Amino acid sequence: MKWKLTAIATGLAFALSSGMAQAGSELNLFNWGNYTNPELLEKFEKETGIKIVVTDYDDNDSALAKVKVGGHGFDMAVPSSNYVPIWIQEGLLLEARPDQMSNFKNLEARWQDVDWDPGRRYSVPWQWGSVGMMVDTAVYNGDINTSSLIFDPPPELVGKINVAPEMGDVMGMVLRYIGSKPCTNDKAMLEKARDVLLAAKPKWRSMEYGVIEKIAAGDLAASLYWNGASFRARLQNPDIHYGYPREGYSLWMDSVVILKDAKNVENAKTFMNFIMEPENAALISAFARYANGVEGSVQYMPEDMATAPEVVIPAEFVDAGHFVPPCPPDVQKIYTAIWTELQK
Amino acid sequence: MVDMSNSSQPRMHRRPFSVVTQTGFTEMAVICFVLLYAPLVPLVVYSFNAGSSLAFWEGFSFRWYVAAWNNEMVKDVTIRSVYLASVASVIATCLATLAALGTTRTKPYKGLTAIYAMINQPLMVPEIVTAVALLILFAGIKQATDYHGMAYLIIAHTAFCIPFAYLPIHARLEGMDLTLETAAADLYATPWQTFRRVTLPLAWPGILAGGILAFVISLDDVIITQLVKSPGQNTLPTYMLGQLRRVITPEVNAIASVLLAVSVVMVTIFFFLNRKNK
Repeated sequence: MKWKLTAIATGLAFALSSGMAQAGSELNLFNWGNYTNPELLEKFEKETGIKIVVTDYDDNDSALAKVKVGGHGFDMAVPSSNYVPIWIQEGLLLEARPDQMSNFKNLEARWQDVDWDPGRRYSVPWQWGSVGMMVDTAVYNGDINTSSLIFDPPPELVGKINVAPEMGDVMGMVLRYIGSKPCTNDKAMLEKARDVLLAAKPKWRSMEYGVIEKIAAGDLAASLYWNGASFRARLQNPDIHYGYPREGYSLWMDSVVILKDAKNVENAKTFMNFIMEPENAALISAFARYANGVEGSVQYMPEDMATAPEVVIPAEFVDAGHFVPPCPPDVQKIYTAIWTELQK
Repeated sequence: MVDMSNSSQPRMHRRPFSVVTQTGFTEMAVICFVLLYAPLVPLVVYSFNAGSSLAFWEGFSFRWYVAAWNNEMVKDVTIRSVYLASVASVIATCLATLAALGTTRTKPYKGLTAIYAMINQPLMVPEIVTAVALLILFAGIKQATDYHGMAYLIIAHTAFCIPFAYLPIHARLEGMDLTLETAAADLYATPWQTFRRVTLPLAWPGILAGGILAFVISLDDVIITQLVKSPGQNTLPTYMLGQLRRVITPEVNAIASVLLAVSVVMVTIFFFLNRKNK
């Protein structure tokens, strides 16, 4: 019995002491799982002497919930672009003014001022990408740069299509496909969008995540999916290509922000400035395989990334890409109704 | 006198009723085992894949086991998970033993059923509800004390492990022969001596079973851990979940296979310990 009590006592003492050792040069980053390059952390620690601790989350909502109740202990988080306005409105973010930092000039011009964070007063790009068409060209060798592949599929693809279950991206894409725009409150257009989706649904096989393996192995022939995933599928199967729908497709960006109740504000600002350095930004991309938005980082990236058509958007399709704004509540309600009907 | 025994003799030789001999039993059992274990086969097989895919077999290799072993992150979260599960299951088992004694070695009293229900409450309440409740409660404490250590996770895990430890201990105590304890008391053993020399050794297999169950339950918890953890407190399951959302490599299979092997070993140890004690 005695050894048991000793074990508990030691355990508790250890637990308490490990928590108390908070002070010192530290930084607590709350980021998506498997998204942070260990080499980046090592380099940061070596150059600044700040020890950085990463903790994982796996969706925007739970991260927001945890930070919102307070007492979380984090200094920084990496919300997606459509969530940043919510974080700002909830008063969770520190106005860190990255636009006044010395490396801000390294950001590509188009990321220096963005809709979800006008003037970049709160956030710095971590990684960005697009949602497009991932296609097995051995099955279908026609034009892949169109969203008609899933909304009005050619016979070769029928029954072999997957659609990522992302309401905002799918709704945005179908509205652009029928010539409208995301978050419209035009009832006729929304009705048309619903009809297109319901007519297309029987020709799809699934609406799920985790399709890289399936499409690479030939179980699926097309999917509405993310560019980085398509890139990895191509490395496994050279027939997999990524199309940018010319009717319009969604872009996304995950951005680094500092929390209002951060304990290590100065360290967090140092980190923000650090990742806008091209060489460091390249480390982020080399790990998770998405672009980072920092000018000149490409030359430090792995060879296969610098030229990948999934990462570097071909000039002719650049203008078709848009960020999905958070829709007003009344539109959101119609979106949800259509989405529920679609998932039946 | 009619000889009843003779006439009933043939019937006595019929085999007693057994569910095992019913038609369809074997088929049913096979289907159940296949459903339970078949999904594990590809998981383990692909953990030995030489390529980085979960769909193409590119030859046999220990590459992903080596990768997982050399992955500092995996090492870090595994140590944390084992530490957490050990501390939480030991505390939970001690408390559960006390609770089991308190609900069996006593005359039935008013409110016993209520106590029984309260102890088993974590089994009934959906985990997400407990998780949200703990998130809110601990957030307040974290803000007030500025303490962000492992104690929160230990407390949370201990709490939901108690019923899992309690059930086998309770069952064991319930099924024990009370005359042995009475005999010890008759021979002037103090209550502590009776407990130490009679009750505890006899209850030990139940306590061990409870402890192992609590350890395993704590080891694979995701939801509560996800919402309670403070900075730097990723556990193995939350790490694996984060991994799944991005790039899946057979490294996850390798980690999962090792976890599987550990649980098989633990169940086997428990089985032999239990048999010896009988």
